[in-house]
Parts: sequence; C-alpha cells; structure tokens
Amino acid sequence: MELNRKYWKGLEELKQTPEFIKHKEQEFPHLESVENFLSDEKLNESSTGRRDFLKFLGFSVAAATLAACEAPVTKAVPYVVKPENVTPGMPTWYASTYYDGNSYASILVKTREGRPIFIKGNKDYGVTKGGVNPQIIASVLGLYDSERLSSAVTKDGKSIAWFKADDAIKASLKSAKKVVFLSNSIISPSLSKAVDSLGASLNASAAGKFEHVTYDAVSYSAMREANLENFGEALIPNYDFSKAKTIVSVGADFLNAWLLSTEFAVQYGKTRNPDGEGMSKHFQFESVMSMTGSNADYRGMIKPSEQASVLAYLINKLGGSVAVPGKLSTPVQAVADKAVAELKKTKGSSVVVCGSNNKDLQLLTNYLNNLLGNYGTTIDINNPINLYKGNDAAANKLFADILSGKGPDVLIMHGVNPVYTHVNGEEIGKALGKIKLTVSTNAYADETASKCIYICPDHHGLETWMDYQPKSNHYAIAQPTIRPLGETASILESVLVWAGLAERGGKDSTVGYDYIKSTFEGMTGGDFAYATHNSAVDMSIVSKGLTFTVVKPKGNFPKSSDLEVVFYQKSAIGTGLHANNPWLQEMPDPMTKATWDNYITMNPVEMTKAGYATTYDQENGLSLAKVSVNGKEVTLPVYPLPGQALGTVGIAIGYGRGGNGEKIGKGAYQTKEYGGHVLNENGHPASIGANVFPMASVVGGNVLLSNEGKIEKVAGTYAIAATQIHHTVMGRNSVVRETTLDIYNAKSKESYNKPHLLQKLDENGHHVEVPVSEFDLWDAHPVEKIGHRWGMTVDLSSCIGCGACLIACQSENNVPVVGKDEVRRGREMHWLRIDRYFASDEEATIGTRKNKETFGYLDAEIAAENPKVVHMPMMCHHCNHAPCETVCPVAATTHSNEGLNQMAYNRCIGTRYCANNCPYKVRRFNWFNYPSYKKFTEINPAQDDLGRMVLNPDVTVRTRGVMEKCSFCVQRIQATKLNAKKEARPVIDGEFATACSDACPTNAIIVGDWNDFNSSVHKSSSDNRAYQALEEVGVKPNVWFKVKVRNEENDLLAKLQVEKKKEAHGGEHHGKETKAHH
Amino acid sequence: MQKEAAIREPLILGHKTYHDITEDVCRPIEDKAPKTWYVLFGIALVIGLYGVGCILYLLGTGVGVWGLNKTIGWAWDITNFVWWVGIGHAGTLISAVLLLFRQKWRMAINRSAEAMTIFAVFMAGLFPLIHMGRLWLAYWVLPLPNQFGSLWVNFNSPLLWDVFAISTYLSVSLVFWYIGLIPDFATIRDRAKKPLAKKMYSIMAFGWSGRAKHWNRFELVSLVLAGLATPLVFSVHSIVSFDFATSVIPGWHTTIFPPYFVAGAVFSGFAMVQTLLLIMRKAMGLEAYIHTKHVEYMNIVIMVTGSIVGTAYITELFISWYSGVEYEAYAFINRATGPYWWAYWSMMTCNVISPQLMWIRKLRRSLLFTFFISIVVNIGMWFERYVIIVTSLHRDYLPSSWSMHYPSHIDIGVYVGTIGLFFVFFLLFARFFPVLALNEVKTILKGSGQSYKESPDYHNDHH
Repeated sequence: MELNRKYWKGLEELKQTPEFIKHKEQEFPHLESVENFLSDEKLNESSTGRRDFLKFLGFSVAAATLAACEAPVTKAVPYVVKPENVTPGMPTWYASTYYDGNSYASILVKTREGRPIFIKGNKDYGVTKGGVNPQIIASVLGLYDSERLSSAVTKDGKSIAWFKADDAIKASLKSAKKVVFLSNSIISPSLSKAVDSLGASLNASAAGKFEHVTYDAVSYSAMREANLENFGEALIPNYDFSKAKTIVSVGADFLNAWLLSTEFAVQYGKTRNPDGEGMSKHFQFESVMSMTGSNADYRGMIKPSEQASVLAYLINKLGGSVAVPGKLSTPVQAVADKAVAELKKTKGSSVVVCGSNNKDLQLLTNYLNNLLGNYGTTIDINNPINLYKGNDAAANKLFADILSGKGPDVLIMHGVNPVYTHVNGEEIGKALGKIKLTVSTNAYADETASKCIYICPDHHGLETWMDYQPKSNHYAIAQPTIRPLGETASILESVLVWAGLAERGGKDSTVGYDYIKSTFEGMTGGDFAYATHNSAVDMSIVSKGLTFTVVKPKGNFPKSSDLEVVFYQKSAIGTGLHANNPWLQEMPDPMTKATWDNYITMNPVEMTKAGYATTYDQENGLSLAKVSVNGKEVTLPVYPLPGQALGTVGIAIGYGRGGNGEKIGKGAYQTKEYGGHVLNENGHPASIGANVFPMASVVGGNVLLSNEGKIEKVAGTYAIAATQIHHTVMGRNSVVRETTLDIYNAKSKESYNKPHLLQKLDENGHHVEVPVSEFDLWDAHPVEKIGHRWGMTVDLSSCIGCGACLIACQSENNVPVVGKDEVRRGREMHWLRIDRYFASDEEATIGTRKNKETFGYLDAEIAAENPKVVHMPMMCHHCNHAPCETVCPVAATTHSNEGLNQMAYNRCIGTRYCANNCPYKVRRFNWFNYPSYKKFTEINPAQDDLGRMVLNPDVTVRTRGVMEKCSFCVQRIQATKLNAKKEARPVIDGEFATACSDACPTNAIIVGDWNDFNSSVHKSSSDNRAYQALEEVGVKPNVWFKVKVRNEENDLLAKLQVEKKKEAHGGEHHGKETKAHH
Repeated sequence: MQKEAAIREPLILGHKTYHDITEDVCRPIEDKAPKTWYVLFGIALVIGLYGVGCILYLLGTGVGVWGLNKTIGWAWDITNFVWWVGIGHAGTLISAVLLLFRQKWRMAINRSAEAMTIFAVFMAGLFPLIHMGRLWLAYWVLPLPNQFGSLWVNFNSPLLWDVFAISTYLSVSLVFWYIGLIPDFATIRDRAKKPLAKKMYSIMAFGWSGRAKHWNRFELVSLVLAGLATPLVFSVHSIVSFDFATSVIPGWHTTIFPPYFVAGAVFSGFAMVQTLLLIMRKAMGLEAYIHTKHVEYMNIVIMVTGSIVGTAYITELFISWYSGVEYEAYAFINRATGPYWWAYWSMMTCNVISPQLMWIRKLRRSLLFTFFISIVVNIGMWFERYVIIVTSLHRDYLPSSWSMHYPSHIDIGVYVGTIGLFFVFFLLFARFFPVLALNEVKTILKGSGQSYKESPDYHNDHH
C-alpha cells in the first residue's frame, strides 16, 4: 500500500509555524471547529486513490465477514465494589444442611460469583458424614427453575403484595373457629417453636382452636406407633449399620429411600469393605428388586403379605414365639435359614429393619431386634431420629373432616402436597374449596398450592436460614448461599408474622436469622458463627431409661392376594418432590436403567408366561398393561425386572405430576419429538408417568404402599427410554470380576483375579506365559514415572449404584439434558454411567461361566429369575494407549503429559471415529445443538436464562458436532495444582477429587496421583483385588476396578476359582507371574 | 499384426466400418435426446434433489437426524461411503490394469466405466464430508499451514489416509478419463454444426489435431497414467479397509481386510458396470460393441472376485473361532445368529452363492440373468459394509452399551438421493460425452471386427 508516505497534521506542521509549535504538545488543540474543517474545499483534493479504496473495501468486507463468523460477544460487567468473599474465578464453599421433608444431609455448597452451582456431602461435620443422594445434589438446579413462584400469589395466579396476603391471613386467623397447620415432618427446632407460638397465640383466644398436623407423603407412622407400644414413646430409634455384622432387611430400601438413607449408605459402605474389619452379611427380603436388595448377599423374593411370615419364621427359629401367618416358599426359607444361622452367630451386632408402614410388622421387627439384643448396640433408643413424624391417624382424620365439610376454617400447608400424595387426593383437591382460607407455602403452584387461596412461597433451601435437629443429639444449620432470587419469604418468617411476632423484612430480612440464632443459643449455648461455619454441632443427650415391653401383634397384617402391587421410590424421583428436575428425570434408575417414566415392574419369567414383550430397544417398546387397584386404574408399560417376586408387580411413586395445568416446572412434562410439550386430553401439558399414590391401601389406620390389585394386558406398546437394553455381562470375566469373601480370604489373587496371560518366547526359545500388560505395540507413554499421572480406582464391592456420582458429574461438567426421545435413541450424554449387570443362569456369578464348554450365548443373555447384581460405574479410562487418540484425523483428542486423555472441543470436527473405537463406549457426541435447538427448550437448563446460572463457568458448554467425555474433572486438577503451586508445595494426596469421587457416599471411587507411590489410589490400584477392565485389549487404562466380593457361600464358584497346581519342574518359579513351560 | 486364436469371438459384431463407429457413437450426442432420456433424467433429478434436501436438513440440524447413537457412531453414512468407493473401483481397474495386460475388450467399456468411477467417487466423497459433526471445519483434515501454532493433522489416523487416498484416486481417475476423451471430443468438434457445441467441444478437445505426434503422446501418457493408477486400484480400498482394520473393535480388527476389500470392490464395481452397460447398450444401440462376449468376460471377473470374497468371509469365520478371542468369536456368532442375522445371510446369499452360478456358461452368457445378478451383487455388497460396520459396533466389548441401529428417513433419503445424483451425472455423461472410446475402438476394428474376420484378407493372413 502507498501509505508509507509522510503525512502532516496540516500545513502548519509542514511549515512549522510558531502557532503549531505552540500547540504541539497539547492533545486537543483548539484550532478549528469540525464544521469549518469539513467545509474546506481543499479536502476534496486529498481523496483516496482508487486502488487504495478497493484495498480498504476488500479488507473491510473480509474483516466484516470474518467478524460475522464469530459468536456474538456477551458483555461481562465487573463489580464496581468487590463483595466480600467473592473473587471472580474463585469458588466459595459454604457448609449448609439439606432437608426437603424426605432427604436429609449435611452439605457443602460451591458458589461462583455468588451463584451456587454444586452441592456435595459434608464429610467433616454432620450426621451424614458426606452421604448424599442424587436428589440432594440435583437440588441446586431447582434453585434456578423459572417456574418457581417469585412472589406471593392468589388462587388465580396473580401476584399479591406480601402485606396484603399477611393482613388477610391474620384477619382470617383471628376470626376462624378452627385453624390447622398441616406440614411435613418439621425437624427444625426454630420452626417448631414458631408454629407452637402461633398455636399458643390462637389457643389463647379459644382453647383447641389451633392444631398442628404432620403428614408425610411416605408415612412411617406405624414405626412410631409400634415403638409407643414397645417403649412407651412414639419414636424412631437411631440405627447404626456400621456396627452391624448381619443386616436383615424386610422390604426396607435403607440405602435409597428408607428413613435417614443418606447416613445409612455411608455406614453400610464401611461394612462392605472386604479388606476392613469384617464384612457384614446382608439379607434382603423384598418384592421389587430395590437398590438395597441389589447389594444384598442373599435376597429372597417375597410378596408384601409374606413379610410377616418371614419375620415370624426368624423369630421362632431364634427362640421367640409368635404365630406364623403362612408358610415360606422353599427358596425364601433357604435364605431365611441362612439368616437365622448368621443372626445366631452375631447376636447383639445385627440389625433387622422392616420397610412396611404396618404396625404389626413393626412390632414383629422390634420383637426380633430385642430377641437379638440389638437395642443398645446397633439400635439406639436414646437418640431418636426426628424425621418422619407424620401421624396417619391425625392426618387421615383431618382429610376426612375436610372431605365431609367439617374441616377447619383456615388451613395452612407447609411442604405438603396431599392432593397429589394422598389416597383421596383428587377429592381433597375439590374439597379444599370449601375451606374459608387455604394457604400453601410451597415454592410452586403445584397440585395442592394451585387450589389454595394464597400461596406464600417459601425460599429455596439454598436461599434461607434454617436449623434442623435430625437426631436428638444433633443440631444443624442451613445458611443461605445466595440472596433470594424472587420475592419469596422464609416459612419461619411467615409463621412469625402470622403469629404477630415479627414484621416482614423483604429480601434481606433478618427475622429468620435472629430467631434461629436465639434458638441455637438457647439449645446449645454455643458460638453461632462457629456452628454456622461447620453447619452442625453435637449436643449431649440423656438416657430416658426406656425399656422394652414385648407386645405380640394382633395379626393385622397386609392382606394376601394373587397379585400384590407394590409402590416403591426410585433413587432419582423419590416421592416426586423433584419431578420437575430434568437431571433427575434423566437419571437412569439404578435397577431398570430407564429414564423419564414410571412403569410396571414384573418378573420376566411371569411376563413370558403372560405374553408380554421382555425385550425392548429404541424402536421396539414394551407391552402395555392396565393395573387396577381400589377401582383406580393406570395403564403403563410393563418392564421386565428380574428379581421381582412372582405374583407381585411394582410401580414407582413420584410420577404423574402436574397434569392438570399446574405449573411445577417446564421439565416436568412430556416433550414432543421436535420440541414443545405433549398435551393431554384436557389440553394441559401431559405429565410424565402415572400417579399411583391413590392406589395405596390403608391397613390398621396406616397408609401402606402396597395393595391387592389386578393386571390386564392392553393392546399396544410403549417406547421406554432406557440407557441400557442388554442386562447381562455375557460371562465376560475381563469386564466384571466377582468372588466370595471366603475365597478372597483363603486363596491367592490368581484364583479370583487372574491376570490375562499370553504366551511368548523367552530369550532361550522357551514358551513362557506372561501377563498381557507386558506386551506392547507402542512405546511406553512418557507419563509412567514423571510428574503427575492421574488415576482412579472403582471398588465394585463398595459401589451401591445410587447414582450420586452421575448427577454430581452432570452438575460439575455441564452435561446436557437431552430428553426422553433422545435417551430412547441411545443418545444420553452422561459422562459417567453406572452399568448394571444381572447374573444369568449360565454364570456361577456375574462374569464367571459355570461351564466354559456348554456356555450358551443366547441363554447368557437372559437374566436369572432372582439374579445377583453388580453396579459398575463406567467413565473414560484415560488409556495410556488410547485407541481414540490414534484415530482422530485432526488430533482433537490427545494425551496430556499427566496421563489424561483430553478433548480439544475446538479442534473436533465430529467424525465419531474415536467413539467407535472406544472399547468402553464412554464418548458422547453432540448430535444437536443442545443449548439452542428447539427440541431441548423445555428440558435443557442451558436454554433458560435462569437455568443457565447453574452452569459451571470452569467448563465449556459444548456446541453441536463435537465429541465429549469424562475429563477426570481436569478443571479441578488444574485448580488443585495452582493452589499447591501458590503455596509452593507438591499436591497432597486426597487434595484433588473428581465430582464423582466427591459425591460417592461409600468412597467407592478413589482418585489421585498414581505416580505418587504413597497415594491412596496407587495403593488401591496395586492390591490384590485391582484389575483393569478389558485389559487384554492393551489400551493401558488409568482406571482400575476392584473385584466385587460378596459375603456368600458359593460352592460352584469355589470350584471354579482355583489356584493353579504347582508344576513339577517349574517349582522355583511358583508364585511369580511368569511360569516356564518346557 | 495382432495374432489371435481362430476360435476367439470378434469384439465388434456386424460389418462395421470406421465411419459406422463414428456415427454410432456421435449420434446420441448430435441428435435430439429421446423422450425416455428426459423421463429418466427427470426422475433421477427429483430423487437427487430430495437427497440434497435431506443433506441440507442434516447440515442445518445436526447429525442427530440420522439413526446413529452413542454405541453406533457410523452406520448408513460410512456404509454408503464404502459402497460407493467400491463401485468406483471397476473403472480404474478396467482402464489401467486391463490396459497394462493389453485386454482389448476393455475398449468398449472403459469410457463409461471410468465415468461411473468418477461419479461414484463423488458420491462416496460426499459421505465422509456430511457425516462430520462440523462440516464447515472439514478443511482441517488437510495438512495446511494454519494459525493455530504448530497444530498439524494426525498422521496416525486412517481417516486421514482416506483423505489422501480418495483425493489421489479421484484426481488420477479424472485425468485418465479426460485424456482418453480428448481425441473423441476432437471428432465431435469436427462434426459439430451448432456454433455453441462447436465452441464447447473445441475447448474441451484442447486443440487436438490428430497428428502422429499427438497420438504418440496420447499413448505415452495413457501408459504412464495406467502405471500410476494400477497401484491405486489396490491402495484405495486397502486404505478404506484400514479405517476398520486398525481399530480395536472385534469384527473390524482383522488383517484380512485389505485384500478382501479390494476384491469386494472389484466385485461390486463390475456388477455396477454390468447394470449400467446392459441398459446403455440397449438404449443407445451399442449392441455391436458391447455384446455377450464382453458381458461374459465381466461375469468371469465377478465370479473370481466373488469367490475371493466368499473365501474371505469363511476365513474370517474360521479365524474368529480359531483365535480363541472371546470378543472376536462372539462378534461373528452374533453376526450370523444375532439380531442382524438377516443382514448377514443376505450378504452371504448375494455375495457368495450368486456369483457361483456364473460357472454355468449358459447363465453367464445370459444378459437378463447377468442383469439380475448384477443387482443382487450390489445389494449384497451394500449389506457387506452394513454388516461389517453396524453388527461389529452394535455389540462390542461391554454388554451395557450394546445397542441397535434403526435408520431414520433422512438416512434413507440421503442414500437414495446419492443414487439419484449419480444417475443425473451419468445421464448427462451419456447425453453429452462419447460413451465409447470411439477412436480407441477403431484401433481394434481390424483385428477383432466381424467384417474383417469374414473378409478374404483375414483368411489369407492365416494361410
């Protein structure tokens, strides 16, 4: 370009006039106005040349084109004044507590720039010791649900100022004859106190005017009633599974949903370590194969009506005496006999639990526990659990009153949704209109709240101060991690305002905080700031000196029938409280691996007989059936679930929510193939699955989640979106390895964890067998001994399959939600999945063939009637000789010098060759633009302005057409290394954890630096149980699995898992891995 | 003088003169196209445009519009790619290998076979492009200097080798084809009456004057290109097979793949040549040049390559058992007895059994039967690729990830669309290009033409 000629600012500069020299140093010399300058005729003479013009034109067009290719820049505005504790780019962690009426846990909340984005268990403080379930981890997404109410609203959905609602409520309270406060189990001492003071203020004007009724969606009322009879106090004792040598569970899914399952899972995990102090033996008698049952060493399939027989059988065999209602089937009796033998050996260190809400069954359970001497050892009567205070009698009386029109004038509901969860929900919904004033504090205009005159929405748990007393000796605090997003108000404040004890404080109200602080100081006398920092303090308890009185049951057991229908809770959906959470809807069920639906579970053996389809895939759905109970009907697909007791079917509760136009969240409804909601016959978005709460039975006044019913095949099929369509491991020993505790203790590694051997010639020309790891097509990767080498071990013995890791991974890594239609097509995006394998009749145990010669592949595809189960978390193995890396044409996936297999999303052109070539099939492809394509608008949080706030800013949101996969949470690795570097020290073992290992309640996943030979991951990977899945493929993974050890007797397996006979002439080599053959 | 066995059938039937040949080949170009051509072209265009529509929808929405999933990352896309590449194999074999072996019968078919090759490779090349998640970055597979620092392509990846193999094959085939067309274009140019046609053909003829020097150079270049192209016949499909053979997936990881793929490609290529030529000879009145003898020769090639393919299938089966590798064994048991048994047995029937019928002289000389078998072989070879790709992927190492593949209507639309596009190109070729290498055919008129054999000179020569 001709631009290198010299320019002058003007003639003045050329001529160096005195005026110019005078103004030269000034940046803005006031020489001439712009108008004057532009009107100068001479300007035209200095026009740009034609060629220069074309060059500029060409350049600017090219520049504009290039600029148009770039994604639009979103402006980020920095803080004017930096808030305390917020450093952009640095996370802040808060200790807090989670409680939603069902799940309870001490948690740590990660916030970034003031936004909570991740929840994990608090391993240092609180009773749950780091135990969390998927619902708790996923609850952070609920915070950003745009359909959560953001102000007080009236029945017609209009916002109303808080003071107006308060005035109306206070006026009604004053004039009412009868006021009922209906709530879920309140375990907050402050809230209890506040409700009591509201009651006191009302009762002061007219005695008996106020009543507080507790109603739980899933009731444990029978337990409290049984204990009232046995101990004189309606309590639920504290269980300690970690002290139990023998665990007998009769229908209690204690790892998933029963009572304080978050704590129990942690305790249970401790007893399942075959290298620890002794492994517990776990017997489970149940109808639906539950997550807990899948972990049992022995499992008996019984109908709900047979629970009494099992308990009675155990009692009678163990020296007690009760009438036996019915006989046990032969296989169940065999399991029961084994349980008797174990219980005899471990008296005083066993625990028997029963999941039924039937008082007589609970009486039997208590009797058995007393017989075994478990009170005072594994069961602590002096430190009761405060959860599930619901009283069926009181609640049912209230609902009966409401239905008959004799109800209260004012009904305030907190944390309950009886229209959805109660047997007579629909009628209750209609009857609510008869009450003068109904108020709900639910966060959504849900089934019940939408029928109330006022909804005074409570804060989300992450927005509010609260205190909890889950057990008598424990006080926990929840602290807000974000300023309330909407104009919501804490329930504590609302109650105090209605009691006339406080004034509304708006978003920055300190009412709740002050109240809780005073409660805390009154109860513990400790330092509130310190307690808040830890989120929990222990308190001392005094023994109440309760003694056990034997009470024999009156025989009011669940009725027996040909078909018994069992209603159970899924790990992700539970009671349906989080039905609007797309992460949870898309989480594969631990047992069925199905997502976005509930269904009828039935044993495939029975299904074959009745002519139901027992296989399914993306195009072939499952048969439909109609289950009728109590005159109520649901039509659902029938899922082939091995292990389901014959003569029973199971249906999960928690589904079928919000189908009548209630606004419970966009993610709570069925979506169409090209986006938008499916509408039901009433023109409302169709709910997911069907609600079976109305099918529960009432036995002895208690609501029981099982009933007698009928099933009938219906024409048609229904597509089920499951992430796994094949259920057995096909006897593949290099995928799953399993042994028994006896074999593990008695025999060498070679018997139960045999390395894969190949023959080669040694230097003398002899054939020798060497482990496959010594063969190598490639040069060793230079990460073996230099710097870090990140590795992971996954203990199949500890893993209970709960799925907390999966949700934690999704939350940490912005894994997109893809919806039912895409999951059905086999395109879920989960970076970490949990493979679940059932044993087949061809296998001695999962992965070990009974007989290699007669092994039949077709038979091996079919799961046994009551199979053993293994849960196998599967994520990227970060192979040192990664097959994905060699095949990528553009080197978008490469190996880091720390042993990580890393994806450069920007470089990926999407050939999918890497995914095809991955033996573990862990790579996930972005088939669509999930953050913007219309198909995902209803379900993908990243498509919602508010939902987007949950995204982890450390992890890129992937675009369409690129491959993604587990990164070992490389962002956390980098953060850990930076921290260590700042502090001028090496990375400490345990300092770095992936999201999955952080979330795991049983510590099944260990990560760390494998090059640090003292690290726990290195030690774990070199013990006798460690093996690498598909080792013989030769990809040299950085993930080790550990052989699953079952505490069972398995003679067949003992015969198969033998040590090699000592060879006559190879004696001196015995015990080494190489052996000479001549 | 060319020596020829007395019993050998003539390659050109009827009493054709040099002028007849020129007339026969140029007539379709110079005359108005028949109605059937417009009908066929219309149908092909509609199908082709539907395919283009499907491709545009695919590019606009994402690869998810296909029936692929987390387990099966390739299905119809790469099946179609390999199928088309295979079809594109016969042209170069006919023009290069048969040229080197001085097989004169090739002259009747090489032009259209080469055209078929080029169009088939176009169709083939389309699939690796559109199967990418981000087509707009497809140029990243080329080792171009770039602004990303020292970022280079991954020379270990067979997909990259594919890029080189296919592009080399396409360019050599294209040049070879075009060089052969030059003298024929000159003939058409010289006969053309319309000014536009004359102008166009004279541009395409590159100023060919028919001088001895030109002919000398022509022969030389043909020979050199034949020498260059011959290794390509073997390299292209070997390299395509490396996509599978170098992987770790049971059913893909097989050392037999390169020769087996090459034989299969020749097999399917010849079948496609048969399909096209049997129609073309009829439609364009070329029965005298492409007759039973040609068909029989090609059937023999089909029979031989079909037998190689069949042997390969059985070898694979044997090795899967003999190797004792769990996954390998299962992959093949699953192919034959698993959910995709029908695809496997379609493949076996079409590719192993049907070519064996060609041992019967009567059948291999039957034009109708040949046409039928050529279609059967093309179907069989499509299934072969589908079986290899989909049945290997759908059940590999971890049963948890086992899956099924069902095509979406976009899968089908794109595939059918490429067949439409292929015929659009081929019909245009048949309309505007000399479908027979007319100047080359003239060289064999004397030696192998019917009229010459019946002339007294011929008998005199042999006495």
